[in-house]
Amino acid sequence: MKQHPLCTDCECEPNVMDLPVPSGLKREWATIETRRNFLGRSGKVLGWAALASLLGERGLKGDAHAADVPNAAGATARQDLLLPNFAPKAKRAIYLFMSGGPAQMDLWDYKPHLASLYDKDLPDSVRGNQQLTGMTTGQARFPIAPSHWTFKQYGQTGTFVSDLLPYTSKMVDDLAIVKSTNTDAINHEPAIMLMNTGNMNAGKPCLGSWLAYGLGSMNDNLPTFIVLQTKLNWKENNQPVSSRLWSSGFLSSEYAGVGLRSGGDPVLFLSDPAGVDRNVRRKMLDAVEEINRQTLAEIGDPETNARIAQYEMAYRMQSSVPELVDMSKEPQSTWDLYGPDAKEPGTFAYNCLLARRMAERGVRFTQIYKRGWDMHDNVTGLMPMLCGETDRGCYALVTDLKRRGLLDDTLVIWAGEFGRTVYSQGGLSHENYGRDHHPRCYTTWMAGGGVRPGITFGETDDYSYNVVKDPVHVRDFNATILHCLGIDHNKLTFKFQGLDQKLTGPVPASVVQGLLA
Amino acid sequence: MKAANRLGEVAGRLLPQVPQDRLAWLAALLTMVELLLLPFVIHLDGKPHADWEQFLGRFHPLAVHLPIGLLLLVPVLELMGEMRPALREAAGFVLMLACAAAIGSLALGFLLAHGGGESGAMVTRHMWGAIALSVGLLLCLLARPSWYSGTVRFAYPATLAFSLVALIWTADQGGSITHGGSYLTQYMPAPMKRLFGHAEADSGSFYATQIHPILDANCISCHGAGKTEGGLRLDSFSALMQGGKDGAVITPGKPEKSLLLERVTLPSTDKHAMPADGRTPLKPLQIEWIRAWIQQGASPTVAILTGISLPQKRKEPPPQPVGDWSALMPQIRAMQKGLGAKLVPMSSNPSDGLVLQTADNPSSFGDAQLAQLQLFAPYIVEAELGRTAVTDACFDTLAKFMNLRALHLEDTAVSGAALAKLKPLSQLVYLNLSGTKITQASLAPLSSMSNLHHIYLFNTPAQPAADTTSVQSASGNSR
Repeated sequence: MKQHPLCTDCECEPNVMDLPVPSGLKREWATIETRRNFLGRSGKVLGWAALASLLGERGLKGDAHAADVPNAAGATARQDLLLPNFAPKAKRAIYLFMSGGPAQMDLWDYKPHLASLYDKDLPDSVRGNQQLTGMTTGQARFPIAPSHWTFKQYGQTGTFVSDLLPYTSKMVDDLAIVKSTNTDAINHEPAIMLMNTGNMNAGKPCLGSWLAYGLGSMNDNLPTFIVLQTKLNWKENNQPVSSRLWSSGFLSSEYAGVGLRSGGDPVLFLSDPAGVDRNVRRKMLDAVEEINRQTLAEIGDPETNARIAQYEMAYRMQSSVPELVDMSKEPQSTWDLYGPDAKEPGTFAYNCLLARRMAERGVRFTQIYKRGWDMHDNVTGLMPMLCGETDRGCYALVTDLKRRGLLDDTLVIWAGEFGRTVYSQGGLSHENYGRDHHPRCYTTWMAGGGVRPGITFGETDDYSYNVVKDPVHVRDFNATILHCLGIDHNKLTFKFQGLDQKLTGPVPASVVQGLLA
Repeated sequence: MKAANRLGEVAGRLLPQVPQDRLAWLAALLTMVELLLLPFVIHLDGKPHADWEQFLGRFHPLAVHLPIGLLLLVPVLELMGEMRPALREAAGFVLMLACAAAIGSLALGFLLAHGGGESGAMVTRHMWGAIALSVGLLLCLLARPSWYSGTVRFAYPATLAFSLVALIWTADQGGSITHGGSYLTQYMPAPMKRLFGHAEADSGSFYATQIHPILDANCISCHGAGKTEGGLRLDSFSALMQGGKDGAVITPGKPEKSLLLERVTLPSTDKHAMPADGRTPLKPLQIEWIRAWIQQGASPTVAILTGISLPQKRKEPPPQPVGDWSALMPQIRAMQKGLGAKLVPMSSNPSDGLVLQTADNPSSFGDAQLAQLQLFAPYIVEAELGRTAVTDACFDTLAKFMNLRALHLEDTAVSGAALAKLKPLSQLVYLNLSGTKITQASLAPLSSMSNLHHIYLFNTPAQPAADTTSVQSASGNSR
């Protein structure tokens, strides 16, 4: 009599392959089985990561002689990607993320013409078929709110900058200002996901994870990708920023961003507890690793490897992080530049200083989040507050990198997830107004490695509502960032769900040549 | 006396004998006088007038082709008439049509200019050309009967030739108003351009490298091939010098008389200010350059202006390929294990070279460790030795890194005494000595290294005074 496939009789092992299931599914099971066996046999090596570093970039292609070629960028990057694709201009990047959506026409996008249009309705022809948020769809009219602040020309380039940015305006000659950035999303979560991961839905890896995956680490004792959050200012309208934004998505969780805390110890439980010295800690970790290896051999889940790697990273961070955050040796010139805020952990200026220190120590990608730019009302009250918190830090970071010779190979990016409307949300008065979300155009800037300094790229119409010249979509923006780091955005891919997934998504993206040095 | 008699004789033969024809003469002469007085009676004052004038006037560019075609036909018919007399008879009729069409077009053109508030040198020239043409055609009409009958042979050909020249000149002016002055010459082959004296700017000239890019970025959206406001095109040197409807915009040597400079320096509230309609004004530096360029002759060839220092755009030498290091892989691997340093490829292309990374454990990497890398020396293009334990002894090893382009020595103990040993490194572009004890004097040997443009001296005794906190200017710490 034929045995039922799932019979638990100890004499004959059950075999799922005998189940009446589609053959495609069985093939998939078969490949999992193979990988499981393979990983099981990989034995003493430190999982995929260590294996990769031993095999080298040509190892996976079966070239016996070249089997020892070191990875282009450290141990953990995928070997068969052959990255960087070309010699990079920037080795690392620092991303200053202005969450909430800064108002472009109050900071960068100078529209003197608007002053004469105060409280006039935004012409329908300009607004076109633009979807509105639920917050302004009910509004009877869309009265134009000219910027409350005056603009002046700065630098040799004579770039117009608002009075809100007294520090950043001093370095306009170093910036590539993109006035034509545009996005598809009109609400925070999809827009911030799109900006960071190239997709409005959660689950895709973010820029930092792609870089960690593609380029790997420059310092094995610090995470490749670090996220710094700025302490909240409760007077501001803070939109949530979640770890989805620095998630590694379908990539191994080794590549996810490591968040440092904004108050107290940057990493909790950094010091060994009383009675546990380094040796004991090491022995304990070795034992845990052994157990993890057994699990890996049995189950073959690559995430076990990630866990092993993360334990090791945490151990190394016990000694590297205290050195990183010890600012006692910073010269007085540092404090003169960054200002008094920088002495207080968790402020934007402190994070900028920390980012510079991480750049010096080989952290590949640092992302600093500053929340609170979501100004649906009280723009004139909030804007000075936000600029006061961030302006000097931005300036200090770029200037500091420049004077220390680090700006040559560090890319600094300043961006939010979208812009804001030229019309007022809620009441408009000469003293105050609100601004709703606006995806069609917003201003961002880049500086440093690979980027042409002292340019303004793209143009918007008279209302800062539509892009009229050189649009830069989020995917083009990201493709350009990758290019500066030596990566062809079409070549940094990962096969998942049957697709060659990439940061810029399926719609063709292009590197913005006009932004490149 | 004899000449005067002869002139009177010719005039007598020209004048018609029949009374009706005398009336025609009178009418033609009257028309001529009217045409010649027209611009003095009705001024082109540059202000727009009635809409109906413009409505009719805008047919001028259409109607204007009629007299051109007809007039060009006249000499053809006259010459062909030698063989077929019927054609010569037709010529008289065609000439009359041409004359009527010319006067009609002139009227429409005048309405266009008057109604639309057009004025300026080019429009005025075009108008006088058209008047001259019309007068010429009327004279042709008057002179032709006596030529046809054989009594006066020279008057008609002379007036006809005059009319044809007036036609060509007037049409050229008109074309320049609508299409811009350089429309015909823009794609002229270069040898031909030289023949006609349409100088184009040298590619390395101040005009080509500085002035043209300014105009290109700020002006040609309205003063270019697509749109030619005011008949002015600024997309080539010859067009710039030709000017627009208001005449020349550049007066070489006289910036104060150059319309272009005047317009771009008007306050942005002025309606004549350029760039128009609230576009970004030119930057002060750009205006200064344009002024200096005009002042010093508005030359298409001069590359350097006195008193103007351009931001130096250095050409960095292209990276030299370093050769294939793949054969050294076993040694590289062994080195990485023992030394705690990494040698990683710059890119997937081996000949881009290797980068020496020491960030993992900088404090345990010193001169001795560096010395062990001699085997890989020719392939190392970048050495990240910042914050390591290297001392002045490191320069002995570094001198062998002959393809080195970037050298990081920030926050190390190097004193600079041995910097001269870097001299053989001809590829070196970047040298970071921030946070060291380097002095200005010890930098002297580096001055002969022509490619070394980026030297960073932040936080060193060699740092230029007073910029510890302030931003460095564009040249900053790099030479």
